[in-house]
Amino acid sequence: MATQADEAKVSDRLPLTADEQQLLDKGTLTDRAIQARPRPYYTAMRKGDPIHYDAGLNSWLVTRHEDIWAVQSDPITFSVNKGYHEIQARGMHDEFRNYLRTHGGGYFPDAIMSDPPYHTRIRKLMENAFTAHRVKELEPRITQVVSDLIASVADKGHCDAVKDIAVPLTIRIIVEQLGLDQGIESKISRWSVAVTAQISAMQTREQMLENAAQIAELQNYIIGKMKEREAEPREDMISDLVHAQVTNADGTVEKLTFEEAVSLVRATLIAGNDTTATAIGNLFYVLTTKPGMAELLESIIDDDRKLNRFVEEHMRNEPPVRALSRMCVKDTVVNGTTIPEGAHMLLVYDSGNDDETVFPEPRKFDIERSNLGRHVGFGGGPHRCIGVALARMEVKVAAREIVRQLKDIKLAIPVSEISYVPTVATHTIESLPITYERR
Amino acid sequence: MGNLKVTYTDVKGETRIFDDVEEGTSLMELAKRQGVEGIFGDCGGGCACATCHVYVDGDWFEKVGPPDDIEFAMLDMVADVMKDNSRLGCQIKMKPELDGIAITVAPSSGF
Ligand code: HEM
Ligand code: FES
Repeated sequence: MATQADEAKVSDRLPLTADEQQLLDKGTLTDRAIQARPRPYYTAMRKGDPIHYDAGLNSWLVTRHEDIWAVQSDPITFSVNKGYHEIQARGMHDEFRNYLRTHGGGYFPDAIMSDPPYHTRIRKLMENAFTAHRVKELEPRITQVVSDLIASVADKGHCDAVKDIAVPLTIRIIVEQLGLDQGIESKISRWSVAVTAQISAMQTREQMLENAAQIAELQNYIIGKMKEREAEPREDMISDLVHAQVTNADGTVEKLTFEEAVSLVRATLIAGNDTTATAIGNLFYVLTTKPGMAELLESIIDDDRKLNRFVEEHMRNEPPVRALSRMCVKDTVVNGTTIPEGAHMLLVYDSGNDDETVFPEPRKFDIERSNLGRHVGFGGGPHRCIGVALARMEVKVAAREIVRQLKDIKLAIPVSEISYVPTVATHTIESLPITYERR
Repeated sequence: MGNLKVTYTDVKGETRIFDDVEEGTSLMELAKRQGVEGIFGDCGGGCACATCHVYVDGDWFEKVGPPDDIEFAMLDMVADVMKDNSRLGCQIKMKPELDGIAITVAPSSGF
C-alpha cells in the first residue's frame, strides 16, 4: 500500500466508446445536468483518463479508488490548507478577513483545514469528543429526537422528506450535541449556507459581504456560548472543545487556543449538518426508488450487525459528500498523470466508491460486501471524517425510526423531476415529496 | 518511559521488539510513534476506522479478550481480513498483564 504517491506505478487505461470519449472531451462537473447525474462522466474518466483535468472547473478530478487513496494518504504534497483557505472569498480575501475582525470577533482560520504537523495536534485535541464509544452513549437521546420528529409528520401521510425530516433532524441533533439553544435551528441553516458559499467559486462583492455578515453573527453567537462553557462546563461538545487537553509523551500539556476552538466549533456545526442531512435524504430516495430496498431494511431492522452494514453500504452506494479539494504543492506524478504545482484537485469519492476493481457490481446494493470499510465516502488518511461515528449513528437511528413509524413510503414526484443542489461538493437532493402511511 | 515489552510484526512481516512501552499506551499509538508499517490509526483511536487492525498472537488473545460490540462492528467492515484473533490496536491499552504480548499487523482490506 502506498503511503506516498508512488511515481513509478501506472495502471491500465481502458478503451472508451464514442459516447464516453465525447463526454470526456466536452463534459464538466460545472454542468448542472452532469452534477445531478454524474455516473456516466465518472465512468468515462475512470476508464480512460483517471485523473482528468476538468477545464470548466479548472480542477483535476481524481476518480479511481487507488488514486484517491494515494492522494489522501499524502497530506503534505496534497494540501488541504491551501486547497481550502486559498479559495475562501476568492479575490476578496483581505476584505473578508477585515470584515470579520471588525464585526465577528476576529478572523479565525479553520484550524482543522490545515496540514500536518499542525493538523495532527488539532485532531488529537478534537478526537475525544467523537469516539464511537462516546457516540454510543448518545444513542438514547438521538433516538428520542429522531422519533419525535418523525412522529410529528407520521399522521399527515405526506411530507417533504428532505425539508421536513432530513434537514431539521440533523440540525436538532447538532444543536443538542454542541449544547446550543433550542430555537436557533433556522439561523443555523442560514449560517451553513454562508460558510459554504465562501468556498464556492462565484460570489459578487455584495454576496461576499452578506455572507460575511452571517458568518460574523455565527461567530458572535458561538463565542458567547464558549465563554459560558469556559466558566461553567456542561456535558456537551462545546465544553469538550473549550476544555480539551492532551498530554504529550514528554509530559507537556497541549490545549487549543481560543481562536482555534472558535474555528472548531464553527467547523463542527457546519461539517456535520448538510452531510448527514444529505445521507438521510438519500436514504428516502433509495427506499422509494430502488426495488427491494424498503423490504430489505424492514427485514434487518432488528439485526444490529446487518443494520450497521446497511448504513455503511448506503454511504458507499450514495455518498453524500461527492468531492473535496486539495492543492498540489509541487509537480507530482500520480498513476502516470503529472499534476502541476498549484493545481486544484478534487477527490471524487462517489466515483471511487463506484470503482468496479474494488467493489464488484458497484451499483448493486449489497450489505454483505466483505471490504465495505474500504469505501471513501468518509475520505481516508489523516483527514478522514472525524464525525464518522456520529454520522453512522444518526443514519442508523433514522433508518430504524423510519421503519418503526412509517410504511408504504412512495415518491410523490417522478424520479426525473428530482432536483439537486447546484454544488460540486455534495450530491444533495433539494426537495423530496413523499407519501406514506403510519405504521 | 515504561518497561513493558511488545513484539510487533508489521504488515511486511518484519518483527520489531519494543521493551520500553509505558502502561496505558495503546498498540495503535505505539505503532504510530515507532513507524510500524501498516498501522494508520486514521480516527486517532476512536474505534471508528479499522485502520489499526492487528492479530493477537497465540495465547495472548485470551489475556486481551474479545472485542466489545462497537469494536466488533468496525472489524466487521474489514471482514475479508478479519480473523478469530482480530482486534483494533487502538482498543488495546498496555498494562502489566500484557507485558510481552506479540501481535501482527493485519493487511488492509482487499481490492
Ligand atoms: C454522512 C455524513 C458525513 C459524511 C458523508 C462526511 C464526509 C466527510 C469526508 C469525506 C471528509 C474528508 C475530508 C477530506 O479528506 O478533505 C470529512 C471530514 C470531516 N468531517 Fe465529515 N462527514 C459526515 C458527517 C460529519 C459529522 C456528523 C461531523 C461532525 C459533527 C463531521 C465533521 C468532519 C470534520 C471536522 C472533518 C475534517 C477532518 C479533517 O480534515 O481532519 N462530519 N467528512
Ligand atoms: S485508530 Fe481508528 S479504529 Fe483504531
